[in-house]
This record gives sequence, C-alpha cells and structure tokens, in this order.
Amino acid sequence: MKGIAPKSAAYKAVVPLMKILAAILTGGALALSGLHAEEVRADDGAAIYKRLCADCHGGKGEGVAKKYDEPLFGERSLVSLAKYIDKTMPEDEPEKLDAAGSEAVARYIYGAFYSPEARARNHPPKHELARLTNRQFQESVADLIGSFRQSVAPGTGTGLKAEYFQSNGMNKKEKRIFEREDKVLDFDFAEGSPGEGIKPDQFSIAWNGSLLAQETGFYEFKIVTPNGARLYVNADFRSGDTNARDDSDAKRENTLIDAWVSSGDTVREETAKIFLLGGRAYSIRLDYFKYKDKRGSVRLEWKPPHGAWSLLRAPHITPVTVPRVAVITTPFPADDGSLGFERGTSISKEWHAATTTAAIEAANEVVSRLSRLGGPAKEAPDLAERLKDWAAVFAHRAFRRPLTPELREIYVNRVFTPDVAPEIGLKRSVIAVLKSPRFLYPEFTEGDDFATAARLALGMWDSLPDAALLAAAEKGELRTPEQVRAQAARMMNDPRTKAKLATFFNHWLGTGEADSLAKDAKAYPDFNAGIIADLRRSLDRFVEHVVWSEKSDYRELLLADYVFMNERLAKFYGAPAPEGGDFNPVKFEAGKHAGIFTHPFLLSLHSYSKSTSPIHRGVFLTRSIMGRMLKPPPQAIEFKDDRFDPSLTMREKVTEITNKTSCMSCHVTINPLGFALENFDAVGRFRTTDNSKPVNPVSDYITSDGDIVKLSGPRDIATHAAGNDSARRGFVRHLFQYTIKQAPAAFGPETLLNLDAQFANGFHIRNLYMESNIVAALPKQAKTSAKL
Amino acid sequence: MIISRREFLRHAGISAAVLPFLPAMPSLAAPGAKAQRIIFMFSPNGVVQPDFWPDEAGADFKLKRILAPLEPFKNRTLTLKGISNKVRGDGDGHMRGMSCLLTGIELFPGNIQGGSDRPAGWASGISIDQELKNFLQKNPATATRFGSLEVGINVPHRADPWTRWSYAGPNQPVAPVSDPYELFEKLYGEMKDGENLGSVLDEVSGELAALSKKLPADERAALEKHTTFVREMEREIQAGRANKLRFPAPKLEQGVPTDNDGMPKVSAMQSDLLVNAFANDLARVATFDFTNSVGQCRMRWLGIDEGHHGLSHEPDSNTAAQEKLVKINTWFCEQLAALAKKLDSIPEPGGSGTMLDNTTIIWTNELGKGNSHSHDNIPFVCVGGGLGLESGRALKYDNVPHNRLWLRIAQAFGHDLKTFGNKDLSSGGALAI
Repeated sequence: MKGIAPKSAAYKAVVPLMKILAAILTGGALALSGLHAEEVRADDGAAIYKRLCADCHGGKGEGVAKKYDEPLFGERSLVSLAKYIDKTMPEDEPEKLDAAGSEAVARYIYGAFYSPEARARNHPPKHELARLTNRQFQESVADLIGSFRQSVAPGTGTGLKAEYFQSNGMNKKEKRIFEREDKVLDFDFAEGSPGEGIKPDQFSIAWNGSLLAQETGFYEFKIVTPNGARLYVNADFRSGDTNARDDSDAKRENTLIDAWVSSGDTVREETAKIFLLGGRAYSIRLDYFKYKDKRGSVRLEWKPPHGAWSLLRAPHITPVTVPRVAVITTPFPADDGSLGFERGTSISKEWHAATTTAAIEAANEVVSRLSRLGGPAKEAPDLAERLKDWAAVFAHRAFRRPLTPELREIYVNRVFTPDVAPEIGLKRSVIAVLKSPRFLYPEFTEGDDFATAARLALGMWDSLPDAALLAAAEKGELRTPEQVRAQAARMMNDPRTKAKLATFFNHWLGTGEADSLAKDAKAYPDFNAGIIADLRRSLDRFVEHVVWSEKSDYRELLLADYVFMNERLAKFYGAPAPEGGDFNPVKFEAGKHAGIFTHPFLLSLHSYSKSTSPIHRGVFLTRSIMGRMLKPPPQAIEFKDDRFDPSLTMREKVTEITNKTSCMSCHVTINPLGFALENFDAVGRFRTTDNSKPVNPVSDYITSDGDIVKLSGPRDIATHAAGNDSARRGFVRHLFQYTIKQAPAAFGPETLLNLDAQFANGFHIRNLYMESNIVAALPKQAKTSAKL
Repeated sequence: MIISRREFLRHAGISAAVLPFLPAMPSLAAPGAKAQRIIFMFSPNGVVQPDFWPDEAGADFKLKRILAPLEPFKNRTLTLKGISNKVRGDGDGHMRGMSCLLTGIELFPGNIQGGSDRPAGWASGISIDQELKNFLQKNPATATRFGSLEVGINVPHRADPWTRWSYAGPNQPVAPVSDPYELFEKLYGEMKDGENLGSVLDEVSGELAALSKKLPADERAALEKHTTFVREMEREIQAGRANKLRFPAPKLEQGVPTDNDGMPKVSAMQSDLLVNAFANDLARVATFDFTNSVGQCRMRWLGIDEGHHGLSHEPDSNTAAQEKLVKINTWFCEQLAALAKKLDSIPEPGGSGTMLDNTTIIWTNELGKGNSHSHDNIPFVCVGGGLGLESGRALKYDNVPHNRLWLRIAQAFGHDLKTFGNKDLSSGGALAI
C-alpha cells in the first residue's frame, strides 16, 4: 500500500490508535482452505470457521504468526463482511465458499470477535487510573482558588465602561464630565477634546470592565499612544480606589503595560502578553491621560491565541469588572494523546516537576492575596488557628470531599509547625494539598456520592465540583440517573461547559493545532493572518451557533447552507455582506455549500500552500466525520507537484499517485470524498476549473456497509453523512472519549451503542454531552439500571 | 531521642536547602579575587549645606552635625564638595535632579509636569550603576546572579521621573524593590520554596503509599512511578544542601508595614537584605533609595510631623525648619552608617579585611539645597574601600559637572570610559580624587 506523507502532526497522532484498533477496511485477506462449498451447512458458521479459517486467523480471530498475523476485527457491517468473504475467501479460491456459507461464517465472526461490540466484550478496555490532564489541573486550580472569591457574572460583550475626566494640573482628575460605554478603544483626539465639556489640553479617561477570553493561551496587548496610559489585565483593585488621582500610588496592582510617561514626543507602541484560560472573563482597565502633549490619541489592540492583531472591541469586552482568576502559568509537558484524545495516564518526571512548580505558584497566589480570598487579617490574634481553618476548607474543596480528622492532621495540623510563621504554614499546606494524590488523581476515591460528583465535574467542566454539586453529594442526591441528570442539566448552563465543548470541537475538527496555516503569497496574495484569524472565528461561531441553538442538531453541522462571515471575509470570498458587519450567517448559492464540509477554514487547512489536497481532505473526512478507520500508510510518499505532467488536474494527479491496488484499499474511500470538494480551491473559494480544465467532482464512494453512493459535490457527502450510522457513531465516540478521557467500553460494552441509539433520536449534541457525562459519573450498579 | 524521618527532614535536613532544578545559586567568590562593590544611596530634597560639609579640606577635617554618625568610619570617608548636576533641558529641578543624577544626561520631552519648567519624560541614557553592572556581568570572573540590586525604602508604587533614577538605557527606568518581603522573595524565594516543598514531600509519599495499597496490584504502576519521582526530588533537595549559601538568609520580622511609619524598620530590613546578598555574592552593584524626589516622608519617629519636601522649601531664616531638616538628614546619615557598620562586621568572603573594605557607598541627593532647588554642591559622600580611593579626606572642587565623577568611578572599576551621559559635561575626563 502507498500513502501520502503526513502533513500535520494530527495525522501522525492518530497512528497509534490505528495500531491498536487495526481494522480491516478492504485489504485484509480472510484465508480459507480445504473443503468444497457444498459440504458446508449454511447455519454452522462456527464450524466453517474452525475448519476453514482458524488455521490462518487463529481460533479466536487473533491471527497466526507468519500466516495472517493481524487480529480479525473491523468496522464492516455484517452484510458487507459476508459479501467480502464471499468475494475473496478462501484466499485465491473464493469459489469454494458460497453466499450462504459466507453469510454464516460472517455472522459467527461478527458476533464472536469481529464487531466493535464483540471486541469490547472480549477485551474490555480498562478504566485506567488517570491523573488530572493539564487542562484539568489549570481549570481545577483556577476554580479552587476562585471558590474563595465572590462570583460576578461578567455581563454581555457590549463594550467597556468609560469615564471621561477634565484634568487640572498634570493628570489630576478634576471632574468627571461624562460616562458612557465604548465599544472599541481607538481614539484620535488630534488637537481636540474627547467630548463636550472637556478642554483639549488636559484630560483623562478610565476604561473599566472585563475581557472575555475564548481560548486558553497567550494574549498579547498593545497600547499605541503619544500620551500616558496604563493597562491592567486580571488585576485586583483596592476597594475604594476611586480613580480620583491617577498618579497616586493607590493602584498597587502591577500593570501589564505601563506607558504612563510620554517620552520623546512620539507615538509609542508598547506590548506585553499574558497567559489566560479560555472560557473565562478577566478584569481589564485602561487608564489614559493627555497633558499638554500636542496631540491626543490612544488605541488598544490585542492578539488572542491563534489570532491576528486587531482592535480590542465588543463583543470581547464587557462593562462589568470581575474578580481576578488564579491562572497557573507553569508550563506542563504535553498530555498523552496517543489514543486520539488527551488523557492523564503518563506520569513523567517532567510532569512531576511541573506540578510541583505549579503548586508553589498557586501557594504564592493564595498567600499574597489572602485578604481577598476570605482569609484572616494579618493582625488577627488567633491568626494561626484561623489560617488552619482556611487551609482545611481549601483541602476539602481540592479533594472534592469532606476532610476527615486524619487528613486534617496530615495536610493542615502537621504542616503548620511552630518554627515557621503561620503564613508559611499556609503556603506549605497549599503545596501539600496540590501535590497530594487526592487532588491529582480525582478518580482515586471511594465509590461514594462524592466520587460521583468528582467525576461529573471533571467530565462536564474539566474541573472541581462547585458548592451545589458538593451539597448534592452530601445529601445523597447523586444516586439515580435522574438525580445526576438534574445536576448535569444545571451544569450545562455554566460557561465552563461552553468552554469545554468548544475545545472538543476544535479537537474533533483538528483546528486546535492549526498554527501553521499559510498560503503561497503569489497564488493567494490576500490570504493574510487577518483572514486566517477570521476564518477560525467564523468556524467557532458556526459551531457555537449550532451547538447552543435549541435543536443543537449534529446534522446542522453537516448540512448548513450558510457560513458565518464578517465584512472582511465576505469581501475575500465574494459573498454578500453580512448583516451588521460582524460575524453573521451568509447564504451562498443553493446547493453549493454544506456545513463543515465546505467551511473555508477546514478546506484551507486541508490543502497545500498552492493547491488543494483531495487526500488530506479525504483522510480528514474519513476519520473525523465519516467515523471510519484508516490504517496508517505503510509507506510514506511525498506529494511532489513537479513530478507530474504539468497539464494534469489535481484529481488526475491524485488518481495517478494512488492507482496501485494496495493504495486503493484505503484510497477507494479517501479519494471520492476529496474529489467531491474539488470545486473549492486551496483557500476554500468556489471554482469551476482546475489547471484550465473543468473540475470533475463526481465519483463513486463505497460506504462502510458496502453500498455505493454517487458523490458529485459536498451536499452529497453531507446528505450521506447525516443519515449514516458509522458517521454518527464515530461522532458519539469522539465526543465521549474527549469528554471523559476514557474509552466508552471502559464503562461497559454497550455504552457506545446505548448512547448512539439515544443520540439517533434527535441528534441533540448537548443532550449527548450530558448523557455521556451521566453514564461516566454514575457508580457502576446505578449505570446498569439506567435507561439509556 | 528518636525522631521521625519527617521530623528530621523538616527540622534538620531541609531547612537550608536549595532545589537543584531551580537556577543555580551564586558561585562563591574565588579565593584571592578582590571583589569590588558599590552602593548608590539616595535621599531627597537637598541638605542644609552649612551643617553638612566639613569646613576644612584635606585629611584633617571635622565632621559636621549631619555627617557625625560617620565618625566611626571617618578614616574611610571621603566628602566631595563642589560637584554639580549641570544637566539642563526639559523637566523641573526635581525631575532632573533625580533622573539625571546617575545618568548625567537630559530627559526626553514628555507629559510629566513638575512645579515649573516644561513637562518631560524619561532620561535619555543609561545610569552609571547599570553601566557598571553591565561591565561586571560581561566578565565571568565578576558576574553574579543578579548583577545589580535596586533597593527602595518607601518608594511610591508609581513610575515617573521622580521615582526612578536607575536606567538600563534611554527610556528604560529600572524599578526598585521597595518591599522587603518582595526583595526577600527575589533573593531567596526559590530556596525557601525548596524548604517548603521539602517539608511536605514526605507527607505526599506517605499518602501515595497508603492510597496505592487500596488499588489492585496490577494498577499500582502509575502511583509507584509517581512515588519514585517524589523520592528522587527529596534526595535532590537533600543533595542541594551542599550548595547552600555561605550566609543564611536573614530572618525578617513579619508584618512590618511598608508605609511612612514603617520606614525605620524597613530601612534596617532592606540594608540587612542588601548586605546579605552582597555577602553571598548575588550582586556587586546596588542602588539604595529613600523615598523619591520630592519625597514627603514624615519622620514622626523623630518628632517631626511635617513632610520632608514641604520643610525643604522653608527659607534659611526659618531656623526651626532648618533644625528639623538637619535632624532628617542626620537620620539618613545614620542609615548610611548602619549600612557601613553591617558591611564592616563581616570579614570579606575569600578575601582580606571586611566587606566594607571592598565596598563603597556613595550617598547623594537630587539637590544641593532644598529651598533654592540648586543643583550645585550636591552631596557626594563616599564611605568604604571599594573604589580603592585614598579616603579619610574632605575634598573641594570648583563647581565641576558630576559626569566627571561617574567617569572616575567607572575608572576605579577598570572601566575606562571617555565620556558618560552628556558628552560636553564629560569634558575634562575622570575627576581627580
């Protein structure tokens, strides 16, 4: 077999999965030998297998060394498997087994070991002891420390609260002239005033509110001004900081950017970056003043992770100031992703060192901000005792269960030794708690209601149970599926659910690691960083729109005939301008577009720099969307464009490079999917010609059931996928594994089928997420009684 | 007495440990290499000139009231009268007094307005302390972990040309650490983290063992691996004891407020930390600034309720005010003497004499005289032997630019600069001392 050299890390990452779940898609040979077809009774599949197949395939389909050593299992339907056996088995002598005998043996094989269900039954995946993944560690620590602060809803992304002051003397705010909301921070006052009632030579402005961070990563900020400005992000502010004099030293918080002093009579640009967790709001404040500088102007730009520099504007900013989030910035080694989803099964020295540094970082955060975390005042006469009580609550929340006297002894009393100051005792206690296996291995707990709560919070949020969930556990209200569902339903509405689901879709669609997307500047001169950032946003908006709509319909992801676009994208793609200018659905010509299949971000991602790549598109669709398995190409072949006849179309090139029988075992599936998208160029724009020849998007696709479907464009794929069991089940499996970080079969052999059956009724994504979490959270005996 | 392993680690084993995976602590000075150190000490608002400068010139001189606390170090003291900050341009006298003091160069135009003159921004050049730091850090024999330390006492938490005098380059003010706990964290935080960690690791491995037992035997692998790493870290921390500091970190009194009234204590704590850092060779250059230009500290502990800057504006005829200013400046001089005394109480590590014999403290000021905002006759008093200058003298100059003093000091470090700061003001080269 041939294959195409992997382009992305994602392609490589799936290889081990393939090894473990090595499936026969088409190429595997079922070797039979010996008897004539007519000697076989049609209903005795086991006997046929024993006599004709076991010699090469092993008694239980495990394979036989030097004969056919790959285990016999895969994703074909029973019908397809029977057809296949009839056509090809026994090897080189297929005429020896008739259709009825083939069907009998296929039924036996299918039920005994071939089907995924049989395999799950025979080889139940173990529920592996897992530590917190890196995301779970960060989220848990943020929520753990955050649980000691007041929770404030960040409000909606309408802009920042802006207060405009007349100054009197160098940056002494004399009088607040007006207050309003500013949607974007980009002002050129020139030599004039910022508004009525303010003199142009000296004034100051304070913008306050929150930043809504969508993704986890580094956020960069840039202040551009010839005047004075200070930027604070995720800072604490003193109570009573009235902003009356902005040169006072009341603002003890460290600035992210201090550009307070204009120096050198020029427009200055100052940048800084800060690591933030996605799905949360962070306080942001910009203080600005002009004093006798010739001109006044100020601009605040940002560059979110995967984004491009742009003005910071609504809907990313809100007028409500939220409390600081404890963001751990210690870098962690990557989690094990070898099964296609991240899970906390690798325990390395680097991970141990990272959790240690992170624990110290968290302890410093706690001790330095204790007064804001409900801690006692430093002057309290019984300081040590009160700090111990605080530490005990911290341990209780971190361990996701009440702290027993024994554990209080270990994690609190013994750590507060008389030879160190009580604050040091607290610091040590926090480090001990965060280094404890009771925090790091959340599932490593007794099988009680608190364990159920811990699993549910981890599944829904990648974090700790909140107060309501702990209370439910305490009251014994997490025993039945209905009780757990009630909590899960409540938790669905939390922003953390939204954040985690967003990361799942990035993972499913492979956009999480799409940093290297770039196109040939000559072929696509306007495809710049701004367009790429917009495309990502467009896909995120689309997914969010579908998932959080009432129907939350998976099929909408496949079939939608619109793309979210802003003005810049609409211009680039020659689409009608969106309503309101910002990201809104834009409809294209009927019949051309189909959801994620034609989303220009994904089309661009699965293309070469100058040309399309039907193979990358086809592989992505086969694995991620159609729910089928592909073996890794045993031989990597680089696609070198200059080796082909220059007059060929991309389709012709791909046909030529994959034409061997060994290649076609997989490419018979891959190529038709890729070819059906050939009407979309390397940046996802519609085209009718390739290399001056008309595009031919038509081909025959063989389904996992062995049926032939004629594909002539994206809508054909979409329609097929929307009604296809394998595609739907693949989605259920992806979502479950990503969410729970264990294989579905670890929760019983029927888990996947049950969830799938339920999902097939309505295709409701959020319900699937919720039900997956309920299955995983419930203790074992409750699960079996659960009607799923 | 039998003590548990935990107790042992907590009380004996770990308590001065350094974590080996954290950046290495300073190398100790090689024996025989003579370390040279310098501290630039700042106090604001000028001095009362007649009570400051010795009347005599040369080796035979008497210390006046303000400098009286230096009596024990008189033979290691050098007073330099007649040196002026001649930098002009944008910014009021205080801003230039502060931000041109160590830089010897003009401020950029900007938006910071003082009581008079045009508004200004930051200094347009590097300061002498940072120049010397860069020079020492370039040479592995004189490089230290931090190179320089910027220490403040009650410096306001805001950045402007009145609060910054150390500059890494044009438009690059260096912020002093004005909170002793923060400074402690900077100097010893990693080491203390190691101690804190060492004290809990044993609990963690105990818990791992206890929890591991609850698992079926074939599922223990992950926890066993985890336990190995915890044990390894414990061993590393113990091994790290070999790298411990020559001088243990000072014990700070907890809960001292870093406000106006906390100044006497903070001054003592900051000077302890600075001397300790020098003794451990964490740095060889430092700035040590009390408050800021236009500093308004109220020395209530001396019975003075008025702000320092306000008092400094009082005319010479207001003898009560002048008396208070003498007291204030005497207090600053006491801080200088205390710093010198601490340095003098520690034998030079790997060398001869005391640390003071290898360290020079230069005490200076933004102004010569407060009520005239004069930049002439700015206080420059050197204590200690770090520069190798002949001390025990009172020298008088005829209104020379201070740029030439910085050239002389660079020269004392073997750094032969032709000019420093403003080129014209460097004319004449290093000052003869």
